[in-house]
Amino acid sequence: MTVDQDAIRHLSEVQVSIELETEDMTLNIGPQHPSTHGVLRLVARVDGERCYDVKPVIGYMHRGYEKLSEVRTYPQITALINRIDWVSGYANEIPFIVAAEKLMEVEVPERAQYIRLILTEMARISSHLIFMASYPLELGAATPLFFALRERERVLDLLEGVTGGRFHPNFNRIGGVKPNYGSGPTTRKTPQDLPAGFLAATGDAMDQVLGVCDEIETLVAGNEIILARTKGIGILPPEVAAAYGVSGPNLRASGVNFDLRKVENYLPYDHFDFDVVVGENGDCWDRWWVRLQEIREAAKIIRQAIDGIPPSGPLQAKVPKIIKVPKGETYVRAENPKGEMGYYLVSDGGTGPYRLKIRSASFSNLTILPWILEGALVPDIIAVMGSLDFVLGDVDR
Amino acid sequence: MTSNPSDIETTVHPMQDFADSVAEVVGGVAEILHDTVKVTLANDRWVSAHSVARDELDLVFFSWLSAIDWANEVEAGDALKDEVEERLELLSTVGDLTEGKRVTFSTTLDSGLPTVATLVDVYAGANWHEREAAEMFGIEFIGHPNPTKIYLPDGFIGNPLRKSYPLLSREVKPWPGTVDVEGMPEGPSTENPEA
Repeated sequence: MTVDQDAIRHLSEVQVSIELETEDMTLNIGPQHPSTHGVLRLVARVDGERCYDVKPVIGYMHRGYEKLSEVRTYPQITALINRIDWVSGYANEIPFIVAAEKLMEVEVPERAQYIRLILTEMARISSHLIFMASYPLELGAATPLFFALRERERVLDLLEGVTGGRFHPNFNRIGGVKPNYGSGPTTRKTPQDLPAGFLAATGDAMDQVLGVCDEIETLVAGNEIILARTKGIGILPPEVAAAYGVSGPNLRASGVNFDLRKVENYLPYDHFDFDVVVGENGDCWDRWWVRLQEIREAAKIIRQAIDGIPPSGPLQAKVPKIIKVPKGETYVRAENPKGEMGYYLVSDGGTGPYRLKIRSASFSNLTILPWILEGALVPDIIAVMGSLDFVLGDVDR
Repeated sequence: MTSNPSDIETTVHPMQDFADSVAEVVGGVAEILHDTVKVTLANDRWVSAHSVARDELDLVFFSWLSAIDWANEVEAGDALKDEVEERLELLSTVGDLTEGKRVTFSTTLDSGLPTVATLVDVYAGANWHEREAAEMFGIEFIGHPNPTKIYLPDGFIGNPLRKSYPLLSREVKPWPGTVDVEGMPEGPSTENPEA
């Protein structure tokens, strides 16, 4: 099933190269366009079917979390930062908590670290499944949505069972994790632990997720329209991606073998065997493909973690009842589903940060839009924008 | 996860060589803050240091840019415990895409009229980060191609992340959450003796 790319390109070239008196038009997309995943507005100068000078207008959802963090205590902040990238709320907590733990020099129990890692990878799966659902939909294929959302629901149910929250778990504590009240065996020594049967159910869910990956792959990779609309469209060279700070699957799709799970030590990823999935051409298709493979790799990591998790043990290190983080500063970054998420934490020894800089992945990933859409065809705006997989809560913070 | 404090005191930090080499190449002072290499630069070396870092040290990935307002008088949040020299500290972080090395560059700007040259010519991704820092801290980035507001509405007055800027929602209704930690002003302290 090959698509004659040259023929398609040729056709579009013919259409725009006809000498006509044309007048530039300003096209306004958004802020409430369904494919913008939130409230993003694009202003583009359109010459025929091609757009130039694309200007993203953001800030419709700016909630000022950096300022709010300065008047909140450390335990309160995790509730805020859940809402940055709400599609993978759980993963947002990790770098912040690790930064605070680093300054406090707290050693987190191994079992708690494994639980964090399992849930982070589950957040990755649910975030990527949303992409698997919405991206083909934006390109006109509705069917994958039902497959992807069905499995995402399964993963979210498991997350909810442990944390009590589907989107905003607020599960991490400085020094460990705190499972949902009342879950787990109710012996005196471990009053709260993982719900009974959670690990087995997660293992089963991973089988289902892997199954749906195959189904989605058949549906999408065999769809000639999607192939024609994504292959060779929105090509992002690696050096441009790096200069703009594009990270995560978008960067790896451009052929860069770089994954913070391999080079940073915020969670014990070095105990597991998994591959960094790298694309070849950096086009929309590769960005889709890399995310599909990352779901499979995440399932692989979760399965190993289920086998390797210490069967019992504390979930919380000993920390003072009132958390005060010693004076100091550090930057901790993590490989979130959307890319590099990090926190530059400055503490003055108080109960809240003096300054918390939030580096969110989607903000930097979105800065590439004016570059990548320069001279693109108008229908490709949707294809390219969707392939970058951003969430406006992660852009506006 | 966290390194043992006794290791830091007795042995050389594994990042020390890297920190020293960066400081030497870009011409700054390096320190290691909890596994974060921070290199302090003179204001006029801000752009040249970044361009050297990109070209000679292969730190091609632009991560973020922001600032810290070191102020003695604060309108929101807790004041610093010790008196500091009032200044804005401009920070940026760049990294490589092979071994995961990263450097946070720092320079000091005058709180009153902070100006610095733009990094857009070195790292294109600095564009939006500088627009954010400009509106949030009132920093002027000289040579910036599009010095407009990014998050805030046009015509917004003030720089919200300055410590002198009050958190307006708190002015209207004080946040009840502080009672957990500090105790009500007239009531007894609820501070836990364990803390």
